[in-house]
Amino acid sequence: MSVRTKAHPLEDATEPDLLEEVFDYGLPPLIRFEGPCVEHIDGKAVEFDPRSVETRDVFITDTTFRDGQQARPPYTVDQMVHIYDLMAKLGGSHGVIRQSEFFLYTKNDREALDRCRALGHKYPECTGWIRAVKGDFRLVTEAGVKETGMLTSCSDYHIFNKQKFKSRKECMESYCEVVAAAFEAGVRPRCHLEDVTRADIDGFVLPFIDRVMDMGSHVPEHLKPKIRLCDTMGFGLSFPSASLPRSIPKLIYKVNHECGVPSSRLEWHGHNDFHKVHVNGATAWIYGCDAVNATLFGFGERTGNPPLEAAIFEYIALKGRLCGVETTVITQLADYMRSIGAPIPANYPFVGRAFNVTSAGIHAGGLRQDERIYNIFDTRKLLGRPPRVNITDKSGVDGVALWVNDFLGLSGDQRVNKIKCHKVARWVMDQYEVHGRLTAISDQEMEAKLKELMPDYYEKRKKS
Amino acid sequence: MATVEERVKTVVARVLQVDRARIKDEHSFTSDLGAQSVQSVELVAAFEEEFGVELDEDAALSVQTVGGAVEFLAKVCQEQGAKT
Repeated sequence: MSVRTKAHPLEDATEPDLLEEVFDYGLPPLIRFEGPCVEHIDGKAVEFDPRSVETRDVFITDTTFRDGQQARPPYTVDQMVHIYDLMAKLGGSHGVIRQSEFFLYTKNDREALDRCRALGHKYPECTGWIRAVKGDFRLVTEAGVKETGMLTSCSDYHIFNKQKFKSRKECMESYCEVVAAAFEAGVRPRCHLEDVTRADIDGFVLPFIDRVMDMGSHVPEHLKPKIRLCDTMGFGLSFPSASLPRSIPKLIYKVNHECGVPSSRLEWHGHNDFHKVHVNGATAWIYGCDAVNATLFGFGERTGNPPLEAAIFEYIALKGRLCGVETTVITQLADYMRSIGAPIPANYPFVGRAFNVTSAGIHAGGLRQDERIYNIFDTRKLLGRPPRVNITDKSGVDGVALWVNDFLGLSGDQRVNKIKCHKVARWVMDQYEVHGRLTAISDQEMEAKLKELMPDYYEKRKKS
Repeated sequence: MATVEERVKTVVARVLQVDRARIKDEHSFTSDLGAQSVQSVELVAAFEEEFGVELDEDAALSVQTVGGAVEFLAKVCQEQGAKT
């Protein structure tokens, strides 16, 4: 049986304390840490200070056109250029979205890369992606990119069972040849350690990184190698005390502090096979990766990658300010994606059709009194999407009144009270109780009823 | 002219579709007379129409009983100069 160890007397109040230092309605809820977190690594207590994220130059890298395209039919060149242009606007001039990677294999890949670069945006910087084979490196030099990712798969599943290397040593030598080729060509190599959360960390991953870091010790700063930790199957764990190879904190610590890869050259790439993708990316930021690799709306191989738009909101929440990010562009990107046939589920956070739409009358009642009660943040300001109500049998008079005011564009003292909406509310209820309707009522139907049953208000709106 | 009480009971009987003779002052609109959410609002709208007044939504919807409504409407009519 549990025993109470501390009394908690009521702190009475007659005014609400809305905790606005965290829940500033004009921003996503801020993430505040109270002190360091501790991991036990190789028998030693290691402290991480999550508050460092506020001052470190953490950022997002994009792989919408690489991993994101592996899960869907190819984008046309025009589509890629438009998406890239919007991403540049979204990430702002400080480069919150710092880089975007492109395939270099087809004529279309190269044309898209050229046209995106021709837009002249400083960010996202365009980088390449190749397999770690020397033959592919020719593509990088021809494309003239300054940095390329290269697939350096590191679990024995890949080394032996996929790539058929005879030994880890042979594999490492092969990868290092391509890293050397990158240096020779004046291109920064970014080693993508595929399947790292299922790899032998001490036996292969760290020795390989040591070798790459040694190779990079003699090259100028702009060519220093980067390390991307790829949680290819979504096995990574953010939980304290989880063991390697799945522990994200331990993995980052070893690469960061034992191998000496600086945070600025360390990146996390996740997959969503276990629904952990977003929080794993944020965990990587907190424990020392400056870069989190993401795709728009999480489109990516199988279950997808960290959703870029979620990383944007996490970034703002961790930093406590917008940092030049134009969040409303997220809505433009979602509309564009839908227009080119990329489905986004209705309940998908931030951009789904219903992400801030309530069908419950009791929630609509709360929204009507103070939209902060049931809206995550000022979605009108940050996403151009005010909270809305979906009219069903559960909407009640509150829901109908909310819909009417939303449609009429009325707020504050101008709002129509629910008494004035009673005829429309009756019509809605009769749809279900009398006529046995089983579907939601569309905005078009509601507008028609508003015109019929509240003509004065409808006309006023039309005139304004 | 009918009294406030008579007019209130007539409106309640019509909107909630109950026998007027059965309505008592102490009856609760919801638990005794079965008013549901929409009907509560329809009742307030019907009172506005019957008495020619504008009712404050929160105050009107917080009235629980028939007798409470009689008292509330008499007061509002007096304040707004409506005929009772």
